[in-house]
Amino acid sequence: MNGFEGLMHGFALAITPTNLLFGFLGTLLGTMVGVLPGLGPAATISLLLPMTYALGSPITSIIMMAGIYYGGMYGGSTTSILLNIPGESASVVTCIDGYQMAKKGRAGAALGIAAIGSFVAGTVGVIGLTCIAPPLSRFALQFGPAEYASLTTLGLMLAAYLTGESIIKGLAMVILGLFLATIGLDPVTGNLRYTFGTMILQDGLDFLTLGMGIFGIGEILSNLEQKMSSQLVTTKITNIWPTVRDFAMAKWAIVRGSLVGFFVGLLPGGGAVISSMLSYAVEKKVAKNPEEFGQGAIEGVAGPESANNAAASASFIPMMTLGIPGNPAIAMIFAALMIQGVMPGPLLIKEHPDLFWGVVASMYIGNVMLLILNLPLVGMWVQLLKVPYSILAPIIVMICSIGVYSMKYNSGDVIMMFIFGVVGYILRKFQFDLGPLLLAFVLGRLLESSLSQALLISGGDFSIFFTRPISATILSCTALMILMPLFTRLIRKFRKGGSGVSA
Amino acid sequence: MKKWDRLAALVLFLIGSAAAWEAIKIGCGSFRMPGPGFYPFWLAVILGVVALIYFLNNLGKDPQVVALWEKGIWIRPLMAIIVMLGYGLLLDKLGFILDTFLLFLIWLLVIEREKLLTVALVSIIGTTAVYLLFTVLLQVQLPKGILF
Repeated sequence: MNGFEGLMHGFALAITPTNLLFGFLGTLLGTMVGVLPGLGPAATISLLLPMTYALGSPITSIIMMAGIYYGGMYGGSTTSILLNIPGESASVVTCIDGYQMAKKGRAGAALGIAAIGSFVAGTVGVIGLTCIAPPLSRFALQFGPAEYASLTTLGLMLAAYLTGESIIKGLAMVILGLFLATIGLDPVTGNLRYTFGTMILQDGLDFLTLGMGIFGIGEILSNLEQKMSSQLVTTKITNIWPTVRDFAMAKWAIVRGSLVGFFVGLLPGGGAVISSMLSYAVEKKVAKNPEEFGQGAIEGVAGPESANNAAASASFIPMMTLGIPGNPAIAMIFAALMIQGVMPGPLLIKEHPDLFWGVVASMYIGNVMLLILNLPLVGMWVQLLKVPYSILAPIIVMICSIGVYSMKYNSGDVIMMFIFGVVGYILRKFQFDLGPLLLAFVLGRLLESSLSQALLISGGDFSIFFTRPISATILSCTALMILMPLFTRLIRKFRKGGSGVSA
Repeated sequence: MKKWDRLAALVLFLIGSAAAWEAIKIGCGSFRMPGPGFYPFWLAVILGVVALIYFLNNLGKDPQVVALWEKGIWIRPLMAIIVMLGYGLLLDKLGFILDTFLLFLIWLLVIEREKLLTVALVSIIGTTAVYLLFTVLLQVQLPKGILF
C-alpha cells in the first residue's frame, strides 16, 4: 500500500460513525482539559486507559486519545489568554503576550489567531506525519538491539537536556525512572528485584499508577498550596476574527512556529512544551520591534500556539515508527497501544496499516473539528473557566482512583498511586522535572532488554555499540550533546578571562 | 535553593548506594553472563556519580534563604494527603460509593472550606453521578462494602 492509497483507506476507516464519534469526543475532551488548569492531556489519557479495554477496537481508542492530546493544545491557549494561568504546560509562554492582548480588549483576536495558528500547524504536522513516518519505519527495520539501546539512550539524554533548567537534575530523574522500571521480575533471568518481600511489587510498578500518581495527584497537591483566585479578564468574547493587519503580522509567525514545532516534536524527548518556548524565543529574535513582546504582540501568541500543535502531531512519528515516545502524553498513547496488544515500532505500519492510516486520517478530520470547536464556540469554553478549582480537585482524585482500581481490582494500587502523588509533589518542591522520570520508566524495560541482548550477541563485548554504523552515529550524537554544554562553559570561561585581561 | 539541592543530592546518593548494595546481593554476573543485578548495579553507580556532581555543583552559600514550604502553605497539601490515604484504606471496607461521598464531604468542608450548601450539593450530585456513570452505565466493578 503506498502513501496515498493508505491515506484514502484511512479516511474510509476514520469516517465510520463510531470513529467519528470517538474522534469528536476526544477533541472535545482535549479542549476541555486544555482549558481547565491543573488537568493536562497526559493525565486525561491515563484516566481513559482502562476504558480502552471496553472499547475493544484499538483504532477507535487511539483516535480518541490522539484527539485528547492535540485538542489539549488548542484549549490551553484560552486559559492562558483570559486568566494568565497556563491551561496546560505547553501554553505557558502564551500567557506573556496573550494576557496583555486580553487586557487591552483584544482577547477575541488573540483567541482567534491561536485557533487559526493551531489549525494550520496541526495540519502541517499531520502532513509531515503522513510523508515521513512510512519511510522512517522502513529504515528502522534495520535496527537491532544495539541500535535500540543507543537510540533509547539518546532519547533519554534529550529528555534530560531539553526539559527543566538543570541538566544534572534531569539526568537524576531519568536514572530514577529507569530504576523504578527494574522493580519486579527480571525479564531475562526471572529473578525478583527490589520487591522488599512484598506481593504487590512482584508484577512491577504499573505505568498507570505511577503516571496518575506523579502527574494527576502530585499536581493537585501542588495546586492546593494557594487558592486559585485569578479573575477572568472578560467573559464576553466579541469579534473572534483577527483583523487583516493581525493576519499580516502573524502569518509568518505561524509558518515559523509550525516548522519549529514539527522538528522539535520529532526529537525523542522533545514535544509541545519545549517547542512553544523555542518558538517564542525565535519570534522575539526575528521581530522588527522586539520591545513589543510582553506588551501584547500577536506574534507572541501565534508562534508558540502553532508550534505546540505541530509538535503534538510530529511526536507521533518517533512513537509509531521507532517505538520511542518523546513526552509524557505520547507515552500514555504508547501504553494504550501496548494494552491493545499492538507493539509500537518499525513493524507497526506494516502489521497494522488500518490502525496507522486510520489514526492519521482522523487527525486531519480532528483538526477541522477543533477549529470549529475553538473559533465559533470559544464562548462555551470560557464559561467552563467559572467552575471553581476547589470542586474539580476531589473529582480528579476520585476519577484517578477508579482508573487505577479498575486495572487489577486492587485497592492497594490506589494507595500506591497516592504515595507516588506525594513523591511527585515533593520532587516538584525540589524543582525536579517529572517528564524525564516517566519517560525513563516507560523506556526502562526496552533499554535493559536491548542492552542485554546486544551484549549476549557480542559475547560481552561493548564494541558492538560503536562498530555498527547506525548505532555509532546515534551514540556520537549523544556524546556530542553531553560534551556541548561543557565546551560552551569552557569557551565562556575563556572569553571572560580574555575580556578581563583587556579591561 | 542550594541548601535544598545539596539535601536532594544526598538523598539520591543514599538511594543509589542502597540500590547498588541490593544489586550485589542479587548477583551482578559478568559482562559475558550478566546476572539479574547487573543492570541495576550500573544504574546505581551512575546515579551515585550524578548525585555527586549535583552535590558539588551546589556548594557554597545561598544568596538568600529559601524556604521550601513557606509559613503555613504545607497545611492544605498535608490535609489532602491524609484524606486521600484514608480514602484508599477505607475503599474496601466502606465500599466505593460511601467512601467517595465522604471524600467529597471532607475535602470540600475541611480542605476547601466551602459553604455548607455547596458541600451538600456537590457531594450528593457528585456521588450519584459517579454511581450512575461508572456502576450502572459503564459497569465498572467497584468495591461494594457495607452500603451498596
